[in-house]
Amino acid sequence: MILVGNAVVERNLAAGVESEIHVPIASDQDVVVARHKGRALATELGFSGRDTTLLATAISELARNIVSYAGRGEIVLRTTHNSDRPGVMVVARDKGPGIASIEQALREGYSTSGSLGLGLPGVRRLVDEFEIVSEFGEGTTVTVRKWKG
Amino acid sequence: MGIAITTSDLESLYSQALEHYLAGGGEEALRGAYEVGRLALAGDVGLLDLAAFHHSALIRILADSQGQDEIRARFSAASQFFTECVSPYEMSLRGYRDAVAALRLLNETLEKEVKRIAHTVHDEAGQLLVVVYLALTEIAKDLTPAMQTRIKGVNDLLHQVEGHLRQLSHELRPTILDDLGLVPAVQFLADRVSKRSNLVIEVKAELDGRLLPGVETALYRIIQEALNNARRHSQGKNVWIQLDEDAGKTMCSIRDDGIGFQAQPYPSETGEKGLGLIGIRERLSAIGGTLQITSEPGRGTKLLIVVPKENSHANSHRARR
Repeated sequence: MILVGNAVVERNLAAGVESEIHVPIASDQDVVVARHKGRALATELGFSGRDTTLLATAISELARNIVSYAGRGEIVLRTTHNSDRPGVMVVARDKGPGIASIEQALREGYSTSGSLGLGLPGVRRLVDEFEIVSEFGEGTTVTVRKWKG
Repeated sequence: MGIAITTSDLESLYSQALEHYLAGGGEEALRGAYEVGRLALAGDVGLLDLAAFHHSALIRILADSQGQDEIRARFSAASQFFTECVSPYEMSLRGYRDAVAALRLLNETLEKEVKRIAHTVHDEAGQLLVVVYLALTEIAKDLTPAMQTRIKGVNDLLHQVEGHLRQLSHELRPTILDDLGLVPAVQFLADRVSKRSNLVIEVKAELDGRLLPGVETALYRIIQEALNNARRHSQGKNVWIQLDEDAGKTMCSIRDDGIGFQAQPYPSETGEKGLGLIGIRERLSAIGGTLQITSEPGRGTKLLIVVPKENSHANSHRARR
């Protein structure tokens, strides 16, 4: 098991009245649903237009990753808090082949989109927190958080 | 990438997706915007091209709109659509920024490493050789004249080794640059290049003291690169290097009387010359400087480098010690 980034999952759960939204991802249409739900959450929390767009972009890339590398998976969305600052947490989970090397996945040029700064490395630059857990043969979970600016 | 898509395909995709959004396409249409942006980015379509697509689609759509309210609503919805579309460019831009920062750091690290190696070769290998000379002299005292002659042969070879090491160290990074500064280092470099080539190089320098180490290194490397270019490609006979400064800036010009070249806004030619120019620009932008290249076929080449004085002098903000 490889862990990247800092996990603050427990504390967020404790804050917890927020409900989770699960969006199964298997097709382009599902990506639209995940984006829509994410945008709605961000708008509700008062995110700026710019940050809302960046969040939708991150969701698109995460969902695209699921569709292209694992075939299917899910995206879980919920609100979260960092002291007084609200934010949106996105968990992208799949049961795909897993990423053999996370270092490699996060390096530019792993895929054609990577060389343009898209894909997972791109997502990392759009959000405030980024963690990835991947086990070879067991699938990949990417968790990101974006705080209200 | 991989998918060949033309600019006009993208333009009509953009316009269709925008119409879809304005007709109530919702999130699906916004995702369409994002995908168009992604395709455009992968297909090397510039941001300004996208802005132009948006502009012409919007003009057409607004021309068909009725009344102030509809125009206002469509205009604002179209803005959101455009934002979604350029979002992949934002992601990419952040990636390039990180890459530039990483490359600058790498460049600095390499320069430090080169400096360390150059100084080690110069100082430590040099000292070791002195010890070997002394040992040989001692041994020679106990030997027959015939053997002494052979020892002298070895001694001569060692002198050659020492010369090569000195030259290697100097080419990596002249200690004179660190010890005495840019002007003596450039004069020394000019002498050496002159001797190795048929170029006559004139160095004129009027600098007020030492520049910051990073600026001295950058200017030295640029002059080195320019002299290389002049020697290899210019077919000229003379090079004039001038270093001076006025109230606000430090200037360096390198001019030759060679064949010149058709200056290109983006030096894309492969090979060392193009890379050299890119390298020069990158080194300069790291220290806040600019490069102007003037060249015409048959009229030589002139490089003019300007670095704002607040970036080149440690003492520009306070009294000199």
